Amino acid sequence: MDSVQALITQIQGLSSSAGDVSRLHSNLKQAEETIFSESARLFSALDQLDPSIHSLGYLYILEACSSGPLTKERAAALVLPISRFINACAVEQIRLAPEKFISVCKRFKDQVMLLEAPMRGVAPLLTAIRKLQTSSEHLTPLHPEFLLLCLLAKCYKTGLSVLHDDISEVDQPRDLFLYCYYGGMICIGQKRFSKALELLHNVVTAPMSTMNAIAVEAYKKYILVSLIHHGQFSTSLPKYTSSVAQRNLKNFCQPYIELANSYGTGKITELQTYVQTNKEKFESDNNLGLVEQVLASMYKRNIQRLTQTYLTLSLEDIANTVQLSSAKEAEMHVLQMIQDGEIYATINQKDGMVRFLEDPEQYKTCEMIEHIDSAIQRIMALSNKLTGW
Amino acid sequence: MASSSSSGLTFKLHPLVIVNISDHYTRVKSQMHPPLTATNGSDGVDNTSSSPSSSSSSPSRSPPPRVYGCVIGIQRGRTVEIFNSFELLYDPSTHSLDRAFLEKKQELYKKVFPHFYILGWYSTGSDAQESDMHIHKALMDINESPVYVLLNPSINHAQKDLPVTIFESELHVIDGIPQLIFVRASYTIETVEAERISVDHVAHLKPSDGGSAATQLAAHLTGTHSAIKMLNSRIRVLHHYLLSMQKGDIPCENSLLRQVSSLLRRLPAIESGKFQDDFLMEYNDTLLITYLAMFTNCSSSMNELVDKFNTAYDRHSRRGGRTAFF
Repeated sequence: MDSVQALITQIQGLSSSAGDVSRLHSNLKQAEETIFSESARLFSALDQLDPSIHSLGYLYILEACSSGPLTKERAAALVLPISRFINACAVEQIRLAPEKFISVCKRFKDQVMLLEAPMRGVAPLLTAIRKLQTSSEHLTPLHPEFLLLCLLAKCYKTGLSVLHDDISEVDQPRDLFLYCYYGGMICIGQKRFSKALELLHNVVTAPMSTMNAIAVEAYKKYILVSLIHHGQFSTSLPKYTSSVAQRNLKNFCQPYIELANSYGTGKITELQTYVQTNKEKFESDNNLGLVEQVLASMYKRNIQRLTQTYLTLSLEDIANTVQLSSAKEAEMHVLQMIQDGEIYATINQKDGMVRFLEDPEQYKTCEMIEHIDSAIQRIMALSNKLTGW
Repeated sequence: MASSSSSGLTFKLHPLVIVNISDHYTRVKSQMHPPLTATNGSDGVDNTSSSPSSSSSSPSRSPPPRVYGCVIGIQRGRTVEIFNSFELLYDPSTHSLDRAFLEKKQELYKKVFPHFYILGWYSTGSDAQESDMHIHKALMDINESPVYVLLNPSINHAQKDLPVTIFESELHVIDGIPQLIFVRASYTIETVEAERISVDHVAHLKPSDGGSAATQLAAHLTGTHSAIKMLNSRIRVLHHYLLSMQKGDIPCENSLLRQVSSLLRRLPAIESGKFQDDFLMEYNDTLLITYLAMFTNCSSSMNELVDKFNTAYDRHSRRGGRTAFF
């Protein structure tokens, strides 16, 4: 009890100023063994400490408590104090021992997943990320954990808020891979295919010395998303891809490349038969949902091709060319596309004619000016950074 | 010595004269032994511009040299147009200009420019002095009423006008004695097209090979920028003045207010919707071009970065293993 009490009083006493805190830090590092062995008793003494003032000491104790085998009861006991600690802790003290903080948060995520309540971990991990980041462009190891929790809890919007930042500092390459992969999946869930494509592209073209399973999975999704979004896919990867990826990725994703080839022919029936034959392969990769979306996008692609040939077209003709079953279905498809902003057209319901229009954007509004201006600023900042390296 | 001239003559000064005078002064100053200031020697000869070019305001050892010369031009009726100038020798012992030299030079110039007459003389300094009258009188036998062009070589950044003054001589009765004194005369700057180009060239020191497009664009934009800056500062002065007039610090001056309001009314009325549309469209086009240029710039630096990275880190594309960093 003595050593425990001594430790507690030490933490309480030395947490006021920066000099004291660094002394406390070195003391704690030396006392690590004691902390580990007395973790149970220290845990009960935790309520003598205030997480916002005594963050460093609290962190050490929590880390000692959360290491060791994970059981449901322990998880239930620890989840609440950890999430309260994350919300209340002081940023400067945390940054003195970032590895401990990261391991506590990772343990927290494991506990939350064990309790099958990923929703409980989303908000605390978000605060943890913001506190650990040195700048908004810093990728911490907590980012992929957070995104994984968002995916499991299906709260994609919170995940999206983190994805908006541009990244320029990465601690561990594996973090980047996981972050971009999970981020891509979140964007797919939110149907923001262009951002998903960008993130998956990052995974595929990131530097790697050996083949990476994450990159292989990402490449499969990349093929599918690029088919949905752009309607085409080219197997050539840009020159900044590592040579390892350039040579080997295609071998792992053969069925998907065949899918892309048959998509390119433009015939729906062919595509459908291909999907049917390879259904198990897609299912085993958990990509069946995406493949269904690829099928749906085929119709859209064909209708879009029609806009380049015809000015007006009747709904039956559309249904026939695109191989839809009836004019009603064609009308629904066209309506959906107009709402999504994928084509510009007007439907004349009296005689069932669709008139295709030009893009009405005149580029002479003030919002467009601000849009271009902010894009110019971003590019200038990026250019400065690049020449600085 | 300062009242304004009442002779009714209109003076027109060509910029070539100003360039010549400042050039003369700069060369003399830079070739003085020992040089006046350490930094002045090198930039003296190369740096010619239409405004006074010497960079030091007060010399470390001796007062700045005065240079003397003659101005020539044409006088038609009431208009005196000064076209050119040449240097003259000053004899410090007699405090007068070397007459023989002057006449020789005049003969030579007469052969080339038969229409030009000697209209007067020039010198440098901050204000006209008593001894100048001596020189002025000496010239009066060539021209009954010579002009005296004075260039002030000290650079005064607060001053906005050219530091060139033209003096005439007038007979005034002071203390019962009729005396010749200098009076200031107003003048205008007159240029011929070709003259303007060459003076512009000298003033802006364009690179001799015409420069690449980048430097020309930069020079053009710099000129526009400085013009806009000057406009902005003038408007700010006016605005400040009007504000203080409104607050009551300065007595209201109606004539000035009338001028300001007429200036404002002359501004183009551009409130129409069609103008807004066209203006925004053009503005957007320019922004897009800038965006495109920035994009290209960024892509090229990104490309270089990628090349460097590939050369350094991609193990399979080069022999002699430098290991990848993870």
